Amino acid sequence: MKQAFAIGLVVWAAVLGAACRPQKARLPGPPQDRHAPFNYIGAKGMVVAAHPLAAEAGLAMLKSGGNAVDAAVATAFALNAAEPFASGIGGGGFMVVYQAATKKVTVINFREKAPAATTPAMFRDKGEKQAEWRQERGTAVGVPGMLAGWDYALAKYGTKRLSEAAARAIEIAETGFPVGPTFSQINKDEYEKLLKNAGEGTCYLNGGVPYEPGDVYKNPELAATLRRIGREGIDVFYKGDIAPKIVAAVRAKDGIMSLQDLAAYRPAEVEPLQGTYKGYTIYTPPPPATGGLHILQLLNIAESWPLADWGHNSPAYIHHLSEAMRFIFADKERYDGDPDFVAMPLARLLAKDYAKEVRDKIRPDKTAGAYGYGKFDPVQDKKENTTHVGVIDKDGNIVALTQSINDFFGTGIVPEGTGFLLNDHMADFSTDPDSPNAPRPDRRPVSNMGPLIMVKDGRPFLTLGSPGGTRIFPSLGQIIINIVDFGMSLDEAIEAPRFFSYSVDSKVRDLSVEPRLPEPTLAALRALGHKIALKEPYDKYFGGAQGIMILRDKKILLGGADSRRDGVGAGY
Amino acid sequence: MTKKHSVLFLAFFILIAASVLPAQTPPAVFEQPLLVTSAGQSSGDAQIALQLTKKASLTATLSKAGTSKDLENQKTLVLVLGASMKGLGSAGLDTNKEKERIRELVAEAKRKAIPILAMHLGGAQRRGELTDEIINEFLPAAKMAIILRSGNQDGLFTKICKSTDIPLVEVDKSLDAVEPLKKIFKK
Repeated sequence: MKQAFAIGLVVWAAVLGAACRPQKARLPGPPQDRHAPFNYIGAKGMVVAAHPLAAEAGLAMLKSGGNAVDAAVATAFALNAAEPFASGIGGGGFMVVYQAATKKVTVINFREKAPAATTPAMFRDKGEKQAEWRQERGTAVGVPGMLAGWDYALAKYGTKRLSEAAARAIEIAETGFPVGPTFSQINKDEYEKLLKNAGEGTCYLNGGVPYEPGDVYKNPELAATLRRIGREGIDVFYKGDIAPKIVAAVRAKDGIMSLQDLAAYRPAEVEPLQGTYKGYTIYTPPPPATGGLHILQLLNIAESWPLADWGHNSPAYIHHLSEAMRFIFADKERYDGDPDFVAMPLARLLAKDYAKEVRDKIRPDKTAGAYGYGKFDPVQDKKENTTHVGVIDKDGNIVALTQSINDFFGTGIVPEGTGFLLNDHMADFSTDPDSPNAPRPDRRPVSNMGPLIMVKDGRPFLTLGSPGGTRIFPSLGQIIINIVDFGMSLDEAIEAPRFFSYSVDSKVRDLSVEPRLPEPTLAALRALGHKIALKEPYDKYFGGAQGIMILRDKKILLGGADSRRDGVGAGY
Repeated sequence: MTKKHSVLFLAFFILIAASVLPAQTPPAVFEQPLLVTSAGQSSGDAQIALQLTKKASLTATLSKAGTSKDLENQKTLVLVLGASMKGLGSAGLDTNKEKERIRELVAEAKRKAIPILAMHLGGAQRRGELTDEIINEFLPAAKMAIILRSGNQDGLFTKICKSTDIPLVEVDKSLDAVEPLKKIFKK
């Protein structure tokens, strides 16, 4: 008894001793209120991502000598393990890379492609069932590009091997972690799909029901898959024995993908799209990623408005920007497609004089009521999905990476024994067979992603990106304006209340807002003709932006991560 | 053992006993078959409720936007409380239409003397202005409630259930609701 007591005393003393030991001076951590603006601070490097384990994986890579691309891929792998509902090797994305040594910006496009058996009317012909065929059946699955993109980026711009980039993700998938409220809520929201496609025994459910906050989620099958990919290279996925499992899973759910489709997949490296806003230059992927294109359009339209005089989130400000969004949606529907197959008038869309034409159509006293072209697809209006990673390394290299499996938990289809989810990016094609974005063989569906790097006087100032489907460009546009016109700090700009609107068939649609906007503002907007749709106060409907700001005069990096999801920063 | 030690020991024992003893589950008061419907279109939560009834070997039908007609031949109505704007949008409903649908369903259940079991399985994340409106309006119509404890941190369910004499069963995980479900339904 005495001995036990003595042991207990020693243990207790050790615990107390550890607690009382002088600690190194630490920067204050995030506030208790997760929504309170908080900028993560670093001096040499910074990673921002939608999950703390992923951000830590990226930071560890930076500290071990990896560059921004190495860290971005390590973070991306870790997101597959820690935030599996938003991205993973069954999906695709876009990476913007800034190389400090050459001051060049390049884009790696690893968006999914349509299988060879795709036909333009394949979804329209499903009639009322088309949403299911576009989102939950095997026909929803595009040929995944994620691994090919990461591998390409590492080989050309990184310094580490694929196995090294995957190492932390394997640990996370193997040991597991307690899920947070975001994971749990999304798991509940997508429960029906998971039950139907992944089955009751899937690791994406806990005993056949969704995870509750605090439940430990682990995915040993994913760990084994990633280990094999690290060891054997990406061919095991595209041409080896994982490929037949993917095809079998897709075809078991009435899909059309073949082994040839997988074997033929290649990422593409392309020049970035660029535009300017009030002295800043913005680099972003070109279509089929259209988020950046439409951010630039929005900023071009807004550039000559007296935004600061109107006031942040004032009725005039929200009215004018909402109207601009509606006109941009008309263009979006008319022009957006895969530029490898469809001619897009990019120069015209990005011209400042075209922006003036749109601006001139916007009346200050009421909604326009007619917005030109457009058949906006309501299926795309529900997306919150996707994920964004930003990295800066000690040499000033930058990566802005947005990646996705489309809807949360993708199709919910998991190839047998692999632990990863397959995307439903075929849903990003139009159902209209005559649309420039109609599903056709080998095409990449139009994406709303818009990772970007902003440069001032030839030096990088900000990297930013967000998930959020069609809300990506309106949300990123608002964040940039918050910073440039209203002088907000990075996270203040990210956490500020957001709004969104669009047009369909030329007609005005609801103005969705976070209800933190005051009632007099909403009343004034109603008086201008807007129908208000209230969302949650911090609604992931509007995305989950991550960004890094470079404050050269103070020699610090600020990381901003959106509390609408579980975003965090990790700097050193 | 001194008197002080005895008191401390007793307090410790009571604390431990309270934490390990299962929550008291009311006796079987409901009959099968049962209709599961959402009140607020958090459709995932309604699907969870259906899954739990299956695990409890109950005969249940899910109709996420059920109407009075769906109550035909049913002996219990399970209202899964929880609002989701996304779910409402998918179902083509707005808040007012959804509330009206539930009002009619509850009224029909009353007419047919079908008892209502309320469930809230979304936890803290599925609380909010609209969900609270639904809870306040429709929970009092229930004969019993089974909820996730994390959704009752502010005591809203406790308050309403106390004031309306509704037995309240709180569980930590949704799977923990299976045993109470087995007990409150007649075989």
